[in-house]
Amino acid sequence: MESKIRHYSDMLKNREITCTELTEKFLSGIDTSNKDLNAYVTVTADTAIEAAKKVDEKLSRGEELSLLEGIPMTLKDNISTKGIETTCCSKILEGYKPIYNATVWEALQAQGAVLLGKTNMDEFAMGSSSETSYFGGAANPHNINHVAGGSSGGVASAVGGNIAVYGLGSDTGGSIRQPVSFCGIVGLKPTYGAVSRFGLIAYASSFDQIGPITTTVEDSAIVYDAISGYDKMDSTSQGRKGAPTVDTLKNDIKGMKIGIAREYLEGVRDEVRACIEKACEVYKSLGAEIVYFNLPALKYALPVYYILACAEASSNLGRYDGIRYGYRTDAYKDVNEMICKTRSEGFGDEVKRRIMLGTYVLSAGYYDAYYKKAQNLRGSIVNAFKNAFKTCDVILAPTVPMTAFEKGNAISDPIETYLTDICTVPVNIAGLPGVSIPCGFGENGLPIGMQLIGNTFCESTILNAAWQYENAVGSEVFKSSEYGIKL
Amino acid sequence: MVTHEDVIAIARLSKLYIPEEELDAMTKAMDDIIKFADTINNASEKGVEFDNINNLSNAFREDEVVPSYDREEILSNANDIDEGHFLVRKRV
Repeated sequence: MESKIRHYSDMLKNREITCTELTEKFLSGIDTSNKDLNAYVTVTADTAIEAAKKVDEKLSRGEELSLLEGIPMTLKDNISTKGIETTCCSKILEGYKPIYNATVWEALQAQGAVLLGKTNMDEFAMGSSSETSYFGGAANPHNINHVAGGSSGGVASAVGGNIAVYGLGSDTGGSIRQPVSFCGIVGLKPTYGAVSRFGLIAYASSFDQIGPITTTVEDSAIVYDAISGYDKMDSTSQGRKGAPTVDTLKNDIKGMKIGIAREYLEGVRDEVRACIEKACEVYKSLGAEIVYFNLPALKYALPVYYILACAEASSNLGRYDGIRYGYRTDAYKDVNEMICKTRSEGFGDEVKRRIMLGTYVLSAGYYDAYYKKAQNLRGSIVNAFKNAFKTCDVILAPTVPMTAFEKGNAISDPIETYLTDICTVPVNIAGLPGVSIPCGFGENGLPIGMQLIGNTFCESTILNAAWQYENAVGSEVFKSSEYGIKL
Repeated sequence: MVTHEDVIAIARLSKLYIPEEELDAMTKAMDDIIKFADTINNASEKGVEFDNINNLSNAFREDEVVPSYDREEILSNANDIDEGHFLVRKRV
């Protein structure tokens, strides 16, 4: 598959189109498609055109453009953008304009990225369908009666719907990989610490990571290389290990050991399992070796994730009190009532549920039984993955046990919805990198995704394996939706 | 078994109000989620001590004095301000 970023960059460099014209085309694509997709919650047309004009001026002076310069893109609405509304799709942050930029946005701006707008998400990234958004859910570009997934549903809908060339999402328990699986595109959740979280509005700080959402594997590598690395503003960020991932994408994978943990295949739909088996055949034909093993610690991954992530969320979301920013209730008798009413009116149901669960598991009497126990099981899961990587180079697994839900079906039963995260949360628990790529279609015509999981800081290995698969199967599997701009 | 009283106590700690008419639904939701979370207590293994992810160590930086944010900018997102301060109306 041809890199879309390189395609548009070449068009600009060869003067086939000006950056202003390219940006206007994408903005008019948003005008047409966003009514159906509800991918964007804020469109930044004026600043996009302004940024595009600067690129055109540079071109007219005969200066060289960097690869991401002038490429229209989007950011999830929990990534801080100075002076541009950043709401986490919550009423409690309606109207909030950050006074600083997230480091990832600084990095992309420095390379001349053109921001088209901010995209829809589950409120505070808590959800799997983007329907907990205060602004309503984002639709799937392959069938708008189905959800785009979540929580980075808006970015996936915009990129899958060709109204952004690429975007950045965030992944706490699968929030990049699950929506890209539903929308038939590519999403990378980097190793914990590989990309700065400064300016990412926190949900669960020991799980959150920012990563690229793109239509091709090469684009994923290009954007990852641009945003990763040490940032003095994030004390958990680490210096990037090794060479740019884009340099090793096309390496031969003969002899690469691809592991299948049997537990990942339990409980997934037959059509999803069939796609994984087919992918194994593709890998065998490329010279890779398939290795089967057990990972029994995965059994506890979901409750461990929900206990720990909600505990961290209950603490992180304590800051919303209506005093310094965001929504504040109108009528109150004292400060305590003001804070309680502000929070009760400003947060949606799912956010309240997760804050309550987090508070419960951290409260005296329950801390040891839930929080402490879950932390210890997290240690077991980390060790289980460490051992697994002694026998294989990458782990291949389904991304989601099924295709995209119909709209309205995801939010009726919280536990049922949590269960759909079964394949994605282990990666966040262990802080590993995982990339989700398309691997087929279900009976309903909707995309099915698979993920390649690597050892810590082995982004180059999983992107290499992903590129080889993409190159082998091509556009029949990496199929574009009918929406948006194709030039 | 999560009770109404538990939910009211947890809501108070969480600085949330749960209206009377939503109490049953929230109690049921909490009970379902806690039962689900309880499955970890069936685990035969005790697990291993976990203190940080990927054995990362803190990436410290030099403690240098740098310009801070402008006060007006910081106050620009507040609902109520007065003479350079965040304002919470006095109600007695």
